[in-house]
Amino acid sequence: MRFRRATRLVATPFAIGVLFVSSLQAHHSFAPYEPNVQIKLSGMVTNFKWGNPHVYLELDAVDAKSGDKRHWLVECASTSILNRVGWRFNLLKPGDQVTVIVSPLRNGEPAALLKQIVLADGTKYSNGAAAGRSTIE
Amino acid sequence: MGLRLTLATLLATAALGASVLTQSAPVVRGLNGSWENYPVRGDGFGSGVPPKVAVAVPAPVPEPPLKPPFLDEWRATQARNAELTKKGLPPVSTGMACMPEGMPAMMQGTFPMEILETPGQVTIIQEAYNQVRRVHLDAPAIAPQDAEPRFAGHSTGRWDGNTLVVETVGVKESVRFRNTPHSMRMRIVERLRLVNDEILENQITVDDPEYLAKPWSWTWMYKRWPGYRIEEYVCDDNRYFEDPALRYQRLRVN
Repeated sequence: MRFRRATRLVATPFAIGVLFVSSLQAHHSFAPYEPNVQIKLSGMVTNFKWGNPHVYLELDAVDAKSGDKRHWLVECASTSILNRVGWRFNLLKPGDQVTVIVSPLRNGEPAALLKQIVLADGTKYSNGAAAGRSTIE
Repeated sequence: MGLRLTLATLLATAALGASVLTQSAPVVRGLNGSWENYPVRGDGFGSGVPPKVAVAVPAPVPEPPLKPPFLDEWRATQARNAELTKKGLPPVSTGMACMPEGMPAMMQGTFPMEILETPGQVTIIQEAYNQVRRVHLDAPAIAPQDAEPRFAGHSTGRWDGNTLVVETVGVKESVRFRNTPHSMRMRIVERLRLVNDEILENQITVDDPEYLAKPWSWTWMYKRWPGYRIEEYVCDDNRYFEDPALRYQRLRVN
């Protein structure tokens, strides 16, 4: 039973990735990010840039597993995708405390693709279909 | 008195003429409004709401029927791109440089589109990259050699019963739909018709005597999205760049 669940968690983001590959090509590819690794970071927003092709978030954050504190660049979706999944241009501001689940760059640089963000009040937001779902809590 | 009457008659005739001119322009045929790609996708891409009446989903766009040397090159490029992407080194793309998709890709663009029917013109606005096409109705077709190269090309259209037939020439050679090369002799013909009130069908045929062995045809569909307001999309904060040594996309981290 546990094995079956684990398989599904891996398979779902993969299927989403294949399904939306044509859309990803329209802007740029998310392939530089780890396809199957997700980490949880908690910390403070230092910059929130609402724009296209993608929205960017900068964080001084601690990795929940390793305890490492780094300055992270977190890539979000396009402004209209985020608006359609409930974000707003003024959702975040420097100083806000957030927890994010992300896939880091494969090359080890401190940048990552957002899967889910949780605000200080517990509100959760996804990053739209193209970015894939969070598979960890 | 007589002069005044004549003037009044002249004015009335002029007004009538203007109104006749306006009325003789094509009437609205039901395309106005916002449309999302069909089959629908939720989670940020579209409404995710399926149509009231199920409509068969169109087949995927087939491989371009390129002439032999070009087809071999195209297949090799596709294979190389897939291999690089698998390694996390995605090949460079025009989208990465904030370039609009152009024709015909913008007719199944990343985001929803809006169609506006006005007298003598149908305007199609794709949200991604703020792309705009103007289809001039009942205007003489433009010869490919006379068309200034553009991303969306030059489009002329006419109503054939309830089908809007649009012909497009003048798409820049740098605009490569699915990495497919084309010449300035490329001609795109679209046949747009409402399958029902919610679904719009677009039968597309691309012809190019220089690159294609035969016409390349497929169907795209759209679902009406009532009330959706197209957003602005200006690609002004691109953080991707081409790795100069390896020619793949990289993110500028800081």
